[in-house]
Amino acid sequence: MFWFRKSRARRQEIEAELEACRNLLADRFIEQGVPPGEARRRASAEYSGRLAAQMSEPSSGTSVESCLQDLRYAWRTLRKSPGFTFIAILTLALGIGVNTAIFSVVYAVLLRPLPYSHPEQLVLIWTKYQKLTIPRGPASGPLLREIQQRCRLFQDVAAIWTGNGTFTGDDNPEQVKTAFVTPNFPAVLGLKPALGRVFLPKEESLGGRPVILLSHGLWQRHFGGDPRMIGRGVTFLDESSTVVGVLPSDFQLYFSTDSNVGQVGAMTPFPYDIYRSPVTLYFLRVVARLKPGVTVQQAQADLDRVAAQVRASYNEFGAENLNFQVVSLQADATREVRSALIALFAGAGFVLLICCLNVANLLLVRSSGRRKEIAVRAALGASGGRIVRQLFVEGLVLCVIAGLAGVGLGWAGLRALLAIRPDYLSRISGVGLNWPVLAFVAAIAFASALLFGLAPSIESAKTNLTMALRDGGRTTRTSASRGIRAFSIVGEIALGFVLVIGAGLLIRTNNKIQSVDPGFEAQRLLTFELDLSSYNRTQRIQFVNEWESKLRSLPGVESAGAVTHLPLDDYPNWYGPYRGEGMTENQAAGMLADERASTPGYLRAMGTKLLAGRFFDDQDRVDGRQVVIVDDWLAAVTWPGQSAIGKKIEAEHFTPRGIVPVWAEVVGVVEHVRNHSLSKKLRPQIYIPYTQTTRDHLSFAVRTRLDPLSLADTIRRALHERNRNLALAKVRTMANYVEHAAAPVRFTAVLAGIFASLALLLAAVGIYGVISYSVSRRMHEMGVRMALGATSADVLRLVMKEGLALTGGGVFLGVIGALAVSRALQSLLYGISAVDLVSYSVAIPVIALAALLGCWRPAQRAASANPVDALRS
Amino acid sequence: MAEASEILQGTLDMLVLRTLALAPMHGLGVSDRIRQITRGVFVVKPGSLFPALYRLEQNGWIQGHWGESENNRKAKYYTLTPSGRAQLSKEKRKWNKAFSAVNRLLEAES
Repeated sequence: MFWFRKSRARRQEIEAELEACRNLLADRFIEQGVPPGEARRRASAEYSGRLAAQMSEPSSGTSVESCLQDLRYAWRTLRKSPGFTFIAILTLALGIGVNTAIFSVVYAVLLRPLPYSHPEQLVLIWTKYQKLTIPRGPASGPLLREIQQRCRLFQDVAAIWTGNGTFTGDDNPEQVKTAFVTPNFPAVLGLKPALGRVFLPKEESLGGRPVILLSHGLWQRHFGGDPRMIGRGVTFLDESSTVVGVLPSDFQLYFSTDSNVGQVGAMTPFPYDIYRSPVTLYFLRVVARLKPGVTVQQAQADLDRVAAQVRASYNEFGAENLNFQVVSLQADATREVRSALIALFAGAGFVLLICCLNVANLLLVRSSGRRKEIAVRAALGASGGRIVRQLFVEGLVLCVIAGLAGVGLGWAGLRALLAIRPDYLSRISGVGLNWPVLAFVAAIAFASALLFGLAPSIESAKTNLTMALRDGGRTTRTSASRGIRAFSIVGEIALGFVLVIGAGLLIRTNNKIQSVDPGFEAQRLLTFELDLSSYNRTQRIQFVNEWESKLRSLPGVESAGAVTHLPLDDYPNWYGPYRGEGMTENQAAGMLADERASTPGYLRAMGTKLLAGRFFDDQDRVDGRQVVIVDDWLAAVTWPGQSAIGKKIEAEHFTPRGIVPVWAEVVGVVEHVRNHSLSKKLRPQIYIPYTQTTRDHLSFAVRTRLDPLSLADTIRRALHERNRNLALAKVRTMANYVEHAAAPVRFTAVLAGIFASLALLLAAVGIYGVISYSVSRRMHEMGVRMALGATSADVLRLVMKEGLALTGGGVFLGVIGALAVSRALQSLLYGISAVDLVSYSVAIPVIALAALLGCWRPAQRAASANPVDALRS
Repeated sequence: MAEASEILQGTLDMLVLRTLALAPMHGLGVSDRIRQITRGVFVVKPGSLFPALYRLEQNGWIQGHWGESENNRKAKYYTLTPSGRAQLSKEKRKWNKAFSAVNRLLEAES
């Protein structure tokens, strides 16, 4: 408003002034004898009203016009030197493309809000069992009720646990991973079903007919996408249940890997009253929706209060010193991948920096050649600012073209990443070129233009007009330009070195992980899962026994066995406290072990080495002596320096009386198996005979003589003959599990390797450009030197020395940078130290070699020059 | 633009300042005086002159005030300020330098 009034006053003032001049001019014409009418007309023609309008426009149109002029000029100059333009655009497009691809991943995985309604309100509530030393544990049913009733800052609190469920009743039974939830779970996430409805608030499947939500994929695959499925009965978990809805096609559960939630095919309310389950049976993953405006910190404070109340009212939780931890669902879902993605993002940023330095160098070289042109323009009245702007506009034009090309490259790169993406990056499959990514590209393109557009400007600002014109463009280098050039090369080499070290560390980590002994032989091992909940305990033991012999009798099978939880699988883990013979209660506090029930053939089929004692055999019966096998880790911490064989150990068993602690005798010690990750030993392990602790899900491991997957059909037929209601689920080779577990590290290593190679290439090209420019400038000097008796070797040495000095400086800075960076990489490394001597001793010669390659040709050219030609040039 | 030379960009400001250094005058007077002094080589059209006057006033180098002309017309007169005087000598030096440089260049290349 103020501006408007001011500009109106200004316009009036200008009009008055022009009017005055118009009158003066008309008077003069009249004096000269022009008739008054004609005089006024001629005066008005000179001082048109348009002039007033033009002048009173704020920050007048002239600046827009001059910008267009700059643009046209920049376009012409760039077209005049297509070689330079092509190289500059290619380099920048590479840098921008790499960043586009990586940013797309970062955006899709870390930044994009989860596809639930108001995802920022969703939190997970982990239970901290301090005495058991479990920082992120699940809750029990009674604990969930306490949270639901005592907390005031949540709209609603729901819980989930995943297990297996089998659709039977037709010829094609299918077992799917099933989410057992509190009925409010879909509503808490804000799920809108693709068909039908979600669960009603009190729709526990107790007494009444169970209800199910199908995943979109299962509905398509198993039920042919039939919309009439809604309201229809199916047999699920051996009960006739009603399908009430189909989940949206893009529905996924986003939980961190260690919560073992994973992706599900069906969702159903718990088929039993979880609130009546044992107080200390911890299995529920708790999700809550905050009331609008409530922060995670406020919720945490509220839950701290609830935890104190819970500790006071339950002896178990008081003794456990129980606490809660509230975390945002999104932050928790990405916590395991964040550091790797951020490291890759930083690496991509380094590549872009190197690209910018390279282009800055190219521009510098060119602007030195353009000195005369710039000097003439300055002499003709172009201000310093105008010339800097002109150079900047040229940079901007380059960046816009490179940005467009970069988006294309980034798109292709993203397609390639999709092909090698590990499971945890599943969210990138849905990502396309969206506004945030394009905005990011625009931002980095602009920033790059600023960055390298600046370098030549600094130089031209220091240009001495008279000197430049006098030299006619054949100038010696100013110290400013030499400084910038040396700086950019040293910077490039330093950045390249940091990238090479980073890649070296990640590649070495990958190699270490590939060669980890996971505690089993993954080759020629087929695995699949069966859900045996339709059998009672006795039937189950009998079935497993017969089925295992059947498997062994199949042609091509060497050995077979079964276990409740396969290594590296995402079935919710079974672990609990244990107590070794001779340990006091205090010593046993916080002792936790993974527990597995297995058949006699399992450990042998897996190829897990027996270190002492024996494997299970058919004599370990239901009613026999209670026995267990432990791993070497448990044996070493529980009975250090003694043999574990014959010792007693107390751990939870699944018995007909429920889940109770049972004392059993250690009969064997086996090597530790990496159950959860290839790189981490999480907990020691206890194996219990399947006869003595049966559970309803069982994974089989079949060691074959042939390609494992070729046996799948034979096994499926054999199972169908035995029981038409059992489904062969999760048919995978063990090697496939290992591959998936190693994929994240391999992904990071492959990308880091690509970045480092790009960096090396760019650094070599950069140093080549600078040295050959410097050689071409010094040809005359070389000629003089050679005329005065310097040999080719002397000249070669001279040039190489310049290159090596820059390289040395770069490597020196690079080592400092790499030492700083490798500390940040620490959490991504495995099996090597962050100051890994192998990586450093490879990286230094590699960088030096790349630099040498860059210097070699220009140096040779200088050395092989004919002194006469050189002097004449 | 056709017959008389268009003033080189960047030199107009200097010429205006130089003209106003003689005496305060109004816009029309400035363009008359420039034509006179340069013997008609440079013709400053209102389209260039008034934006220049406005720019110079914004920079504080000249100051405008309303007054009466010789034949009792109202007109806006411009006076050179002290900082305008300083600017003029600066521009003069710059011009001399550039002028001699361009000259040398032209001689060197012919």
